[in-house]
Amino acid sequence: MLGAIRLGVFGLVALTILYFLISLYSRSVRREKLENEAAEQIAQGTLDAAARDAYIEDGMQDYENSLRRKLILGVFVVPVVVVIILIYVTNFM
Amino acid sequence: MRYVKGTLIALIALLAIAFFHYTLPQRDVVRISDTYEKRIDFGENSIFWSSPDTGNATGTVNRDIFFIQTIQTNGKPMVYRNEDTGWGWPPYFKLDTSNLQTEAADLKSSAEAPKWVVIKHYGWRNEFLSIYPNAVGVRQVDSPDVSLFPWMNIVILTLIGLVLLFLYRLWAQFRQRAIDPLLEDAGEAWDAVDERADQARDAAKAKATGFRAWLNTWKGTPRK
Repeated sequence: MLGAIRLGVFGLVALTILYFLISLYSRSVRREKLENEAAEQIAQGTLDAAARDAYIEDGMQDYENSLRRKLILGVFVVPVVVVIILIYVTNFM
Repeated sequence: MRYVKGTLIALIALLAIAFFHYTLPQRDVVRISDTYEKRIDFGENSIFWSSPDTGNATGTVNRDIFFIQTIQTNGKPMVYRNEDTGWGWPPYFKLDTSNLQTEAADLKSSAEAPKWVVIKHYGWRNEFLSIYPNAVGVRQVDSPDVSLFPWMNIVILTLIGLVLLFLYRLWAQFRQRAIDPLLEDAGEAWDAVDERADQARDAAKAKATGFRAWLNTWKGTPRK
């Protein structure tokens, strides 16, 4: 039991680190994409250069509420499910 | 220097391959001839032994370990140990050591009437270190020439590859978004300082008259 608790604690720490890394990465990629879109639209004249920051912030706001961002929480779910399946397959099948 | 680098890379690659070869599951077709248990006093080979049955005391100096004696299809012997990996490394989450030993004992067969089984295991057999692969599962097969495709290993290695790819992309993104702009700023700042120094020098030169102007004629042109 002690072993399981230790695995749980260390696993939670590792997955939390992974969660933050993935969310930082995902946010950064999204911001870059928005910056590129804004640059393109400014070049085409469909976006005012002064509205660039607002456009990006709007996009980021959308991202914060998006399903994609919430899917990153799967980082906590998937390994736990995998471990449960592994325990079942290894020992009880 | 190139040789040092090459050797280092080769060494790391060798270690990585050895690590995966030891840790990833493999399957052998064998015939179980007998099972036994033996007390093992762990010595210099102690890292090649796993943990006591989950829930039992840990860190004991010795304990009884189950073994499965088998004959391979080529007639050579192979001995497996049978130990819990429990919640530790490698992550097989094997808790059913005693059950596995029972199954193995039940599948015992003689050379005259062989019952072939597939034993899933990880680890190495090494006579010099007295180490044994750890059996994880056993199942009976009809014929010794059953074909086994390592699906599991492909999935695991693919996942590890994806994780490494993600870490690389993460680093590349971080560098592009956070470090490069900083370096650019620093570079610009440095250029600005340089330019100001140049301007100051030019101004001083322009101002110099008379004796100092004459002195300046002895100086070389400034190095860019």
